[in-house]
Amino acid sequence: MSVSRDDFSIAFRSALLQRGGAQKFSVLSLILLALIIFFLDVYGVKFTKPVRGFINDVVYRVTFLASAPTRFFPEIGKDFSNFLNVKGENERLKAEIEKYKLLELNVEFLKDENKNLQKILETEYFNQNLSNIILAKVLVDKNSPFLKSIIINKGTSTGILKGMPVTKDNYLVGRIVETNYLSSRVLLLNDLNSRIPVTLNQGAQAILSGGGTSKPVLEYLPEDFEITEGINIFASGKDGIFTPGTPIGKTNNEGEVELFIDPNQLSFVTVNLNIQEKGNF
Amino acid sequence: MAKNSILNKIYNTGPLILLYYLCISEVDTNLENVFEIFTLNFQIIIIYFWVLKKPEVMANGHIFLAGLINDVVMGFPLGISSLSYLIIIFVGTYVRNKSVNTTIASDWFTFLMAMVLSSILFFSLLNNFSDLSFPLTKIGYNMFFTLFMFPIFWLLFNLYQITFVGPRDV
Repeated sequence: MSVSRDDFSIAFRSALLQRGGAQKFSVLSLILLALIIFFLDVYGVKFTKPVRGFINDVVYRVTFLASAPTRFFPEIGKDFSNFLNVKGENERLKAEIEKYKLLELNVEFLKDENKNLQKILETEYFNQNLSNIILAKVLVDKNSPFLKSIIINKGTSTGILKGMPVTKDNYLVGRIVETNYLSSRVLLLNDLNSRIPVTLNQGAQAILSGGGTSKPVLEYLPEDFEITEGINIFASGKDGIFTPGTPIGKTNNEGEVELFIDPNQLSFVTVNLNIQEKGNF
Repeated sequence: MAKNSILNKIYNTGPLILLYYLCISEVDTNLENVFEIFTLNFQIIIIYFWVLKKPEVMANGHIFLAGLINDVVMGFPLGISSLSYLIIIFVGTYVRNKSVNTTIASDWFTFLMAMVLSSILFFSLLNNFSDLSFPLTKIGYNMFFTLFMFPIFWLLFNLYQITFVGPRDV
């Protein structure tokens, strides 16, 4: 029995403290080092934030370079199939242009009508300065099982701050949760930790909650509210972060929200620098 | 002779390069787009196998660094992946010290122990010391599929080891 206990303690100690050969560091010393780094990072000692920001900037750029082959080969395949379909696509686009020419007149009319209505309502967003919207490239889009986020190539150097809304083609995709000097992390709407106030096109208010899957769900809906297919979801702007009326997605027959922008297909996004100036973060 | 030695060095660093590449690149081992609940922690399979079979190819310092890189890319607090990987190393080294010869079944069982210990530490630290929170179902799926896929990668790595790296040192 005592021999067995000795064996256990020898193997245990050896696993923790063993060095030599290729192992220049013992497991125990590295565990202690990792714990120190972890608590320094979590409790945000003054000097850790700029250090973390610098490390982030460097690693994100290396990640971007390291991922180049994985982006390059699918692109070749896509380009080749696009090349084969170019004639058919040309005809389809011509037909679409004709259709949009007709719609353009309609849009002009609606735009004027909308402006007049906004003047009547005197909304604070009417005179929003659109020049404060910046375009950013997605550097890293790693599909984590737990976190749904992307890294963009703009950071505090261009005025990006925590909490700013991120859109693509005027559709909401998420908000900034981490800023570095040259890069930022965007928390996507389908992330487990994402909760944003939304309004439905029928006027009801709810919270759009990410579940880690591709389709977020609606929570805290009014009592007896029945979700049907095809309800449009917009940001309500009640949190002071998102512009009211920014389209987000549409409900499906299972009560989930199908986002207008596929979070896995982002290559460029826009960041609205206006909102931060109004909000308190 | 010299050419052979260079080739051997390249083969020996293969698993480490794979580990670094998985941590730093956009490449992931999750097939969530195909099968929504399928998520896999491939890094811990690599670490456990090679620590058990040929620790010379997986230096502790490199694994620690790979963990830090993984934290930066994933957006986790720094050091948490390193800690979880170090727990895997610890269990792997302990099993290696206690056993002379292992089989796929014994490795599978001890891998379960290592994974449970490392996941408990990882998620309890994340849930208690960061703003991030994860539901148990997600964690469960991740652990289940990682465990489920272990024998497949065990066979592949074993084949690689026999062909390119050489047998386990006694």
